[in-house]
Amino acid sequence: MQTLKLLGSFLKINIQMSLAYRADTVVNILLNIMWLGWELLSLNIIFSNTTSLGGWTLGELIALLGVFRLVNTMMVALIWPNTEKFNQSIRDGSMDYTILQPINTMFLVTFSRITVWRVWDLVLAITLIVVGINLSGDIATASSILTFMLLTISGAIVIYSLWIVLIALTFWFTKFDNNVTILQALMDSGRYPATVYPAWLRIIVTFIIPIAVATTIPLQALRSDLNAGQIVMFFVIGVLSFWVASRVWKSGLKRYSGASS
Amino acid sequence: MILIFQRLWQVNWAEQWQYRANLLMYLLYWLVSPIIYLAVWTSIANSKGNVNGFTANDFITYYMTLLIVDQVTSNIIIHSFGYKIQDGTLSGELIRPIHPMLTNALVNNVAFKGLTIMGLTPIWIILFFLFRPDFSHVTLIGILLAIPAMVMGFFVGFLLSAAITALAFWTTRIYSIHEFYFALILLFSGQFVPLTLMPKVIQDIAQYLPFQLLIYYPIQLVLGKLSTQQIVQGYVMGFIWLLVSFFVFNWVWRKGVKRFSAVGA
Repeated sequence: MQTLKLLGSFLKINIQMSLAYRADTVVNILLNIMWLGWELLSLNIIFSNTTSLGGWTLGELIALLGVFRLVNTMMVALIWPNTEKFNQSIRDGSMDYTILQPINTMFLVTFSRITVWRVWDLVLAITLIVVGINLSGDIATASSILTFMLLTISGAIVIYSLWIVLIALTFWFTKFDNNVTILQALMDSGRYPATVYPAWLRIIVTFIIPIAVATTIPLQALRSDLNAGQIVMFFVIGVLSFWVASRVWKSGLKRYSGASS
Repeated sequence: MILIFQRLWQVNWAEQWQYRANLLMYLLYWLVSPIIYLAVWTSIANSKGNVNGFTANDFITYYMTLLIVDQVTSNIIIHSFGYKIQDGTLSGELIRPIHPMLTNALVNNVAFKGLTIMGLTPIWIILFFLFRPDFSHVTLIGILLAIPAMVMGFFVGFLLSAAITALAFWTTRIYSIHEFYFALILLFSGQFVPLTLMPKVIQDIAQYLPFQLLIYYPIQLVLGKLSTQQIVQGYVMGFIWLLVSFFVFNWVWRKGVKRFSAVGA
């Protein structure tokens, strides 16, 4: 309950901050629409040359684009701004004050900055998913939609956990400023089904920087490409990665000793 | 003059060398898209035999060449120069008797390029063994024709980006403008897919725009896919755009410097 209340006040603060840059917000939304146009055009170009991409139809790729945009929104609206603030706080020692707060530090560090206008992106992403599923002609049953949603959430948790581990590494290596670049670099691979990639790339985006776990895998559940065992496995991976991440975070935090004092 | 460039080179090379870890990250970031496009299109070509005459090997050679061409013709001027106008540090460079953009920033970009190409070389060789492209139809003449075209493409792109960067004299939103410019490049340069697979309208427009000079035209020269007429046409277009972009940049720069009041410095 307290967590939700805090999240509410974080949102309020961030809305106030973004109101100072209204024109920027408008420009950003326009650019965002432009990129959506490009993404749809590029799918159109692909499908004017073929009827399926690795067995996936246009509708399925539009839905995948929606899921990709969900993950990408997490990246740009949450991961980037908070990482920037976190890196700064390690460098100048203001992390001290964050630790003193009587709330879970990990929560505080990862949710205090939110790029508010990106909420619009979430609406867009969900629209893309709904339209895509309708277009795809896949038989979406209640249970397949449920597994799809569960695996989307668990995939997002996997990315969130990887992020925690990456920024926690800063406790050991103070000069590790590029901590999330690697995540961003491979992000674009989420636009297309990982099954079309050559094996080595598929292994990287599934096991090392698991973008595909958050994008391709949920869609595969919807296409009923996964058996029950695999669904349970990916769900367990989500839970497990969160547990590992919070352990790493805790032991990292123990190493923190301030910047100047 | 040569001495000035020599000194500038030493300074800028040393500066870029300082940031080699960041540079490697940049390289990684930049590599992913072409490799994904390569994977997507070869997967389609493999399942259908060919895409409008493009075989899987055609796509592999296209994107493998793109990795080199794009690295030669692209620039980072917006990131290395834009902030100087915004925070006023440009004033120090303006009082020197050399053009800040056409000497120092240019050499800085070339130094950056030198380092990224050094970093790209081993990666490219690894990719070569992973994708095994068949470059047997590439001729020496094609490569020799492509080198001046790449230099020309670099200067056209550099001057256009420099002109956009110089807009910072008027507005703080050059990064948004640059994002729009970047989208135009994606659409008209052949970065996403060989231009002949784009919708007809885009192909027709792209012919007259400078963006294909940065990527599509040099790649096609290397791969020897152009007729003599197309080669001549490309060089003529390149020359025209070189002049146009030079005049546009010069005009924007002159107007801008007059407005410049060195905020905060």
